[in-house]
Amino acid sequence: MDNLVIAATERSPEVNFDFEGGQLSLKGESYPEDASSVFGPIFAALEQYLVQAEGKTVTFDFNLIYFNSSSAKALMNMFQILDDAADRRGVKVEVNWRYAEDDETMQEFGEDFSEDLEHLTFNLVPTKG
Amino acid sequence: MTIPAPGPGGANPTGLAAHYREFKRVLDERGIIFSFSGYLSEGILYSLGDTLRQKMTLEDTDLTTIKKVFSVFVEQAQNIIRYSAEKVQGNLGKTVELSSGMVTIGTEQGRFFIVCANTILEEDVPRLKQRLEMLQKMDKDEIKAYYKEQLREAPDEKSRGATIGLIEIARRASEPIEFDFDRIDAEKFFFCLKVSI
Repeated sequence: MDNLVIAATERSPEVNFDFEGGQLSLKGESYPEDASSVFGPIFAALEQYLVQAEGKTVTFDFNLIYFNSSSAKALMNMFQILDDAADRRGVKVEVNWRYAEDDETMQEFGEDFSEDLEHLTFNLVPTKG
Repeated sequence: MTIPAPGPGGANPTGLAAHYREFKRVLDERGIIFSFSGYLSEGILYSLGDTLRQKMTLEDTDLTTIKKVFSVFVEQAQNIIRYSAEKVQGNLGKTVELSSGMVTIGTEQGRFFIVCANTILEEDVPRLKQRLEMLQKMDKDEIKAYYKEQLREAPDEKSRGATIGLIEIARRASEPIEFDFDRIDAEKFFFCLKVSI
């Protein structure tokens, strides 16, 4: 299927989903007033991909600096979809949650998200500067 | 606060400049970094938020504090955009909806504070009041646990995300949140929420 590439805007993240290579990434900030307008197309592409990704390895890099509460809900939903694909479709999902090493907020979000996920690998990756 | 009425202008103590200098002095004395009152849009939210982050960064505020202040600012401003009862709507090539309210950010006693205010309908007061009272009574760990629980809940159609937004605000606060309602008329209240960080 076609890759999903969406440039960042002032209040939405850069999306780079290379489905062929199994490399997905979300980068930047996300605080649209209406989170569904930003996450709707992302979910649609992701779900379409996951139904045909049986046995494949998917690496998902999150490099987010800030997101609002409705985006946090959308991200949690995304992790549940990924965890479900790992559980029921045997997709090998590896999440890299990247955050600046002095950014306690993003570290805590990574910890919160990862808590109930049982079937995917969730790495907390502090980065310098 | 008492602001003298503007005089006829020119360099006189009751003139235009003196009037607005006094107005600004009152704001400055209260430690206000900026205060916005009027119709708020996503574009204004972005610009004010960006300026706020730059200002705090230039003053060497630590990253965690900048993130907390910014987050509370965004949630508060988006609550006004969503829930203010004072709106104008129309079509300007696309559908435009503007919501009126007030956002004030400043420092007092070494802490940042963010106050938002907007008009709400009386019928919406009990539900909002109950949510805020609940958050006010919770300690840090309870708020964190409640946040995690709500993060996993399916979105509540009517609230359009308010539940998690208010919890996010309470979570970033250094002291219990303060709020108040002031009756405007038979149908409306002036709602105000203050958060210290």
